[in-house]
Amino acid sequence: MLHRLESLKSCTYDRMDMTVLERQAARLKWQQQNHVVQNNNPAELCASSVPRFQGLVGSNLGSGQMVELKRLEVFLGTDNFQEFLNFPVTGPEFGDSEKLDLLPPEAAADYCISRTSSCQITALDTAVMKEEREDMSLEKMESTIVSGRGSFNKRKAETVADHKSKDKRIKGEGEGESEVKTKCSTEISRNSSKENSKVSEVQKPDYIHVRARRGQATDSHSLAERARREKLSKKMKCLQDLVPGCNKITGKAGMLDEIINYVQSLQRQVEFLSMKIAALNSSVENLPMKEFPAIVANFPAAAKLPEMAGLPCFQLNPLQKESVNCMLNESMHPPQTEGIASASVSISEQSLSSSSMTQLQPFSTWNMDPQGLYNMYNMGFH
Amino acid sequence: MEPWKIMQPSFAAKYVGYLVPALNNIGKQASPSVDRCIDTEKIVRYEINMALALSAEGFAWSHALKHKLRPNVDNHNHAGKSQSYLAHDDDHRNTIPVNHEPAAKKLKVDPKRSETEAAEEEEERLTYLRKLIPGGSGEMMVDDEILLSELGSYVSCLELQVNVLRSMLQFN
Repeated sequence: MLHRLESLKSCTYDRMDMTVLERQAARLKWQQQNHVVQNNNPAELCASSVPRFQGLVGSNLGSGQMVELKRLEVFLGTDNFQEFLNFPVTGPEFGDSEKLDLLPPEAAADYCISRTSSCQITALDTAVMKEEREDMSLEKMESTIVSGRGSFNKRKAETVADHKSKDKRIKGEGEGESEVKTKCSTEISRNSSKENSKVSEVQKPDYIHVRARRGQATDSHSLAERARREKLSKKMKCLQDLVPGCNKITGKAGMLDEIINYVQSLQRQVEFLSMKIAALNSSVENLPMKEFPAIVANFPAAAKLPEMAGLPCFQLNPLQKESVNCMLNESMHPPQTEGIASASVSISEQSLSSSSMTQLQPFSTWNMDPQGLYNMYNMGFH
Repeated sequence: MEPWKIMQPSFAAKYVGYLVPALNNIGKQASPSVDRCIDTEKIVRYEINMALALSAEGFAWSHALKHKLRPNVDNHNHAGKSQSYLAHDDDHRNTIPVNHEPAAKKLKVDPKRSETEAAEEEEERLTYLRKLIPGGSGEMMVDDEILLSELGSYVSCLELQVNVLRSMLQFN
């Protein structure tokens, strides 16, 4: 009984895609819980352990995720447990996993157990894993939980359905893993996932027993390599948020390409703007500095531009939005000096990469009245 | 995870605080030479990069950029400064080639490429990125992870810089 629950927990953790140390800590707590509570009443055991699990995971989560966690709790605590009761109970049967043509998740876990190896992980690796644990972001947790829920439901359905081959079961779990990694997609890919997570437990202070997934090497080098790859993919996701238009791109090479393009375009823009400033500098003696506090104050506000979002005919990138917002603000103040017409035109045409100085007109010639500025602003949207 | 996003307002303030007086100083320098426009451009570019480096302390790339602009502590005089303008200028030109090859190569490659080829392509792109980011080829950013973090901060600081420059132009 305890063994089954324990292995279910391990499968749960696989779903959750926790980092190594989190799993091992949770596992340790589970074991302690199991050893301490010599309880013949399995329902109590389940119920008492779930809050612990909840507490373990929930400490990192906000209230939004607790809803998802409650579903897990139900799954672990009551529903699934009833099914457990229906399974053949005794221990020895579980060791003989080939006999089972049912598909309890424990069978898969047992299969995984056969690949267990213990390896000594160096202090460096432990430090890496610790850091990894700290780095785990809320978003990732959320996404894993949401997808974990989906895969739990699926697994539950299969459990009830019965009669599937063990191999298919393993593949199902592998698919679950890849689902978690590929942003909560609900499609099942039949390829075995490369990014299978592993469960580890601490039995001695200096040994970490690692349970590897099927088809994975278990030496310490590949473990460290895998941890490193996880970190890299995390960083890539951060970059994906940063660079606009990268949400649809999968694959490292494409992402890197986009990043390269974006960095280059930003650098070109900076160069272009610096030339404009130089031109401005040569024609005007002093740069007016009165509006600069207003510029600085506008930056936090520029991040959200709700009125811009509704304009379908004029798609602005974030930089343009920011500059247009500044224009908005300026039209409310009395116009100080030279006009901004050419700047606004060039920005709206998005032709910054071509340093066409012919577009620029001398800055010193204009005195735009508020009405003129307002017209310019409207013009940009047609 | 993204500490640099917190520093947006302070970045803008520092940037403007450095750049505007520097630009004013350029205007005040009375050196009526024929190449004044080109010099002004170079000086402006220098000051812009300097402002970027100073407003974003604590990153490897900003450190490298600062060192590129001020090669050594000794060169504080004007002659040293103009040398660093030129030096930085050449680097600046080299780092922005108009066509970059990795994208072109990507189109030719068969979609069903092997893993090693994909890894090679990634490596290619990473080395290209190293050229783009200041200090990318240095010893600080040998590690890929560090490179990616630095890229993140560099990209967001570049965005901020562009915003600031645009606003400055608009208010003039």
